[in-house]
Amino acid sequence: MSRRYDSRTTIFSPEGRLYQVEYAMEAISNAGAAIGVLAKDGVVLAAEKRVISKLLATSKSTEKMYKIDDHVACAVAGIMADANILINTARLQAQRYTLAYQEPMPVEQLVQSLCDTKQGYTQFGGLRPFGVSFLFAGYDKKFGFQLYMSDPSGNYGGRKAGAIGANNQAAQSMLKADYKEDITREEAVNLALKVLSKTMDSTSLSAEKLELAELSLTPEGEVKYRVTTPENLNKLLVKLGITQVVVEEQ
Amino acid sequence: MECLFGIQGDKFTIIVADTSQVQSIVVQKTEEDKIMLLDSHKLLGTIGENGDRVQFSEYIQKNILLYQFRNGIPLSTAAAANFTCGELAHALRKNPYYVNMMIAGYDPEEGPSLYYLDYIATLHKVKSGALGYGAYFVLSLMDKYYSKNMSLDAALDLVDKCIAELKTRLMGAPPNFVIKIVDENGARELAWRKTVEDINGPRPTPATPIEVKSPPRHISFRSPSPSSKERKGKGRQK
Amino acid sequence: MRLDFSGLDPVSLQRPCSAEAGFDLPSNPIGSAPSFSLPAVADLDGFEQAAVDMVKPLHGTTTLAFVFKEGVIVAADSRASMGNYISSQNVKKILEINPYLLGTMAGGAADCQFWQRNLGTRCRLHELGNKRRISVTGASKLLANTLYSYRGMGLSMGTMIAGWDETGPGLYYVDSEGGRVKGKRFSVGSGSTYAYGVLDTGYRWDMTVEEAVELARRSIYHATFRDGASGGVASVYYVGPDGWKKVSGDDVGELHYKYYPVSEAAAELEVEMKEASSAS
Repeated sequence: MSRRYDSRTTIFSPEGRLYQVEYAMEAISNAGAAIGVLAKDGVVLAAEKRVISKLLATSKSTEKMYKIDDHVACAVAGIMADANILINTARLQAQRYTLAYQEPMPVEQLVQSLCDTKQGYTQFGGLRPFGVSFLFAGYDKKFGFQLYMSDPSGNYGGRKAGAIGANNQAAQSMLKADYKEDITREEAVNLALKVLSKTMDSTSLSAEKLELAELSLTPEGEVKYRVTTPENLNKLLVKLGITQVVVEEQ
Repeated sequence: MECLFGIQGDKFTIIVADTSQVQSIVVQKTEEDKIMLLDSHKLLGTIGENGDRVQFSEYIQKNILLYQFRNGIPLSTAAAANFTCGELAHALRKNPYYVNMMIAGYDPEEGPSLYYLDYIATLHKVKSGALGYGAYFVLSLMDKYYSKNMSLDAALDLVDKCIAELKTRLMGAPPNFVIKIVDENGARELAWRKTVEDINGPRPTPATPIEVKSPPRHISFRSPSPSSKERKGKGRQK
Repeated sequence: MRLDFSGLDPVSLQRPCSAEAGFDLPSNPIGSAPSFSLPAVADLDGFEQAAVDMVKPLHGTTTLAFVFKEGVIVAADSRASMGNYISSQNVKKILEINPYLLGTMAGGAADCQFWQRNLGTRCRLHELGNKRRISVTGASKLLANTLYSYRGMGLSMGTMIAGWDETGPGLYYVDSEGGRVKGKRFSVGSGSTYAYGVLDTGYRWDMTVEEAVELARRSIYHATFRDGASGGVASVYYVGPDGWKKVSGDDVGELHYKYYPVSEAAAELEVEMKEASSAS
């Protein structure tokens, strides 16, 4: 029955649904998860790195976190090939804005411009929607630290905490239960790692399978984006009691 | 002989412009308002060819308002000045606009600011500046008498010094000037300095300010000129 | 028999020298592009511009318009000149855009007529689309935007758009450089300075219509008297709440004798007096 309505992105089914968009969201809920938590002094992004094969050379830098401008970074869940296109347009938009106004692009505008692109692909015929969800962490003068979450339909929203990718429902209900207003960045890191460790399928957690990044403000008032090194991440995991195995080995 | 200048004070910026519209040797009008309100807290003073002046400043004003509608937040003064500069630079090698500008604004974080922008798209952040033939007389005056964080009274005193000098030394000095201010209460008309009162019947109602959030606080400034006093009495009917 | 197809051949840039070829070719063979010799001047563009300027009509003009208590007065002369030549003495320089709008003509006659007719069309479309008449502000802005988009492309217009709308009387000056100025009093054309003199001095806000019409007529008359490129008939229009009305059209020659009746010259008087005294 639905065959006639799911082959094109532009057509509503009789029930009023856009199947292609829903399928794209489905595709993402199988991808590696990412969690974002907004703190009063920064934003934390944590993501699950899936090691598909032992033969695959893992990237030295981040695979799921991308810096878009000095004041914005994002975490991705979904098809990386699609994500790369969107990240590129986001970087371009941010640079164009600075060129025009000589000041950093407000975070929400950046998110909105990207979501406008995503939306376009759910409406104009013959194209497939982007199979990517994003978590954006950013800072601007007007609204301070912000966290946004977006899906393939082009919907986006500001969040205190959010999860995308595999088990995002479970992760979000845990975040809802454990999130407290005005938490510090350190507490946010703990929360993100804790939730991620519980919702990930793998039994043992290590820096190989995780990525952690933080956005904060230096004492001079500059925005700083920092990715936690694997060594530090391992130490952190031990400290939080998420991985005991590593301690025993050491 | 057009004149446009601006002064940044402690908590405000003022822009002064002549109000003459001249076509070759004919003075067509002596109350052409050359200072536009870009949004609730921004002023754009322009001099140059009339067609370009109006088209360009309206284009900038509309784009700044569009930004506000689209994004829900106003553009900062710096961003607006850089945007204007970019648009001017972009047009420069295609169909240049012959317009010189002073941009003034007030931001909650930055406070007051003033920008100088000429028709070849040179942008400077300044504390005081002048453009047009008037600049040749007024710049030195402002260098000598400008002081950091001037009060409004002191700034208006300087404005009157400048206008007096223009009237004594500048050939074809414009008879009338308009003074506009921007501070935390918004952008608005402050005063006129008139030597010629056109027999024009009732004065036109001034352009309505754009979304000034709080009503302008009453400003007392040093002895307004007799002509502006008189205007208070009879003007603004209709 | 052989047919001659040489006319279809492309014309070679250099004509073969007849001595070399041994026979004469026709200098302009059939089928070659027609050509004409260029004027022997160094600055061809300048020469062409001068030629265009020489015949560009209506450069000498006096038009004026002003707003007063009762409405707007629009007045103009009627002379068209091409350089030194007066090509017409009865040109309608006040264009009736619609029953509530008038435009005046100075600069290129064709430019003014074409764009004001075009403006009339767009004003009517505005009326049909919005079920209300266009404001003078709106109409003048339409024209100014059009002219601005053609700026630097050779249009030559200095026009006043006068009319009556929901806000009352309105008057704008619009020119081909893209300028648009709102005002109470304007005069355009080579005679405008002379007209301004009389107009500014005689102007009062609370004139009666009759006084205003007379001021306009008188201003045009004095402009035509001093400006050689203005003349013909001084026509005066009045725009009130019910639209425009043509008030008068007087030959400026006749106006001259009306304003300055010929009195007998002193010499003639002397002669007459002598004759009278000698007769008695």
